[in-house]
Amino acid sequence: MTALARHPRLERRLARFLRLGTWLACLVLAVGFTLSLLDPDNGAGLAVMMGGIGLFILLPVLRVALMLATFARERDHVFALVALTVLAIILAGAVLGMYLAG
Amino acid sequence: MDLGFSVWLIAVSVGASALGGALGMASGIFIVPLLTAFGGVDIHTAVTASIVSVIACSCGSAASFLEEGLTNIRVALVLETATTLGALSGVLLAGIVSVSLLYALFAAILLLSAWQMLSRRGQPDVMAPAAGNVPGDWATALRLHSAYPDQAAGSDIAYRVQRLPLGLGFMYVAGMVSALLGIGSGVLKIPAMDTALRLPIKVSSATSNFMIGVTAAASGIAYLALGEIDAAIAGPVALGSVAGAILGARLLAVISGPALRLLFILVLLALSVQMILAAFGISLTGVDL
Repeated sequence: MTALARHPRLERRLARFLRLGTWLACLVLAVGFTLSLLDPDNGAGLAVMMGGIGLFILLPVLRVALMLATFARERDHVFALVALTVLAIILAGAVLGMYLAG
Repeated sequence: MDLGFSVWLIAVSVGASALGGALGMASGIFIVPLLTAFGGVDIHTAVTASIVSVIACSCGSAASFLEEGLTNIRVALVLETATTLGALSGVLLAGIVSVSLLYALFAAILLLSAWQMLSRRGQPDVMAPAAGNVPGDWATALRLHSAYPDQAAGSDIAYRVQRLPLGLGFMYVAGMVSALLGIGSGVLKIPAMDTALRLPIKVSSATSNFMIGVTAAASGIAYLALGEIDAAIAGPVALGSVAGAILGARLLAVISGPALRLLFILVLLALSVQMILAAFGISLTGVDL
């Protein structure tokens, strides 16, 4: 078989990105959690935790963006378009949420 | 934030995630029933907290699968168009569907998981070699066919992707259920990939895991924008789930499979009874639903 659906370099980059991102988001969450336990009446801890949550939600989105960039560079136009479609749907979700929230 | 409740949230998440992780399953399926039945958490708040923990767990384990070369990222990306679209439909539905119906749907998914765990096949069946190689079919045009490294065989095993449109249909439903119930929906994705796309089991687990993050992120962003994520609950649950997933992977090597599987099935059945009763507004734990 000539054209396998394997992208060893991209796969390794995605793995590194996801692993690093998970640790970073966990660190932010842990800091926020500790802050909110030390000073429950202060909203800072909760705000930092919200940041960690946002980071976690952003990780997979950035992962798709990374795939988009790679496919575009490799002139794999069809897959760049597929990645763009996924990003557009996710963006539509954010807009929909804001619209419904009023 | 209440210290006792925060510690309880972390403990529950660690336990749920360790039990799930030790069996290679997502923990999301335990989080919502435990939070609603024992923590008195509103089901919508529990679902959004669970979504965040599903993303957290999937990102970590997806990295390992990628390094092992098991994930088919092209198949994943194509199917993600359907799962994310399904997730948005799920967010819309979540605002309409009655709480009783949500509990009932959750009970059905729990029962399905228990049944799947009972009838889980041992070894992956041998792939039918290139059956139905229709010229001009989607999977070939999109270059989705691939191979994965097999340690037992010591070489790469090639596989072909089949019936892509059917697979997309299944994934739309899986994405919707994921957003509605705050679960990874691996319980729906993996059989869909086995039966529709005919992927080898190792590839379908790895690819499903890879997709779960993006699917949950699509609904997660919408829930975040809607202001339905409560950091005081989602934060500790995500932290506990990640810790539990790491613990579960360690336990996997220590605890015997059959005993753990039996425990898992019993927990699923107990929680499904709980959820069916909740659907009728009955609470066994004395917590207001």
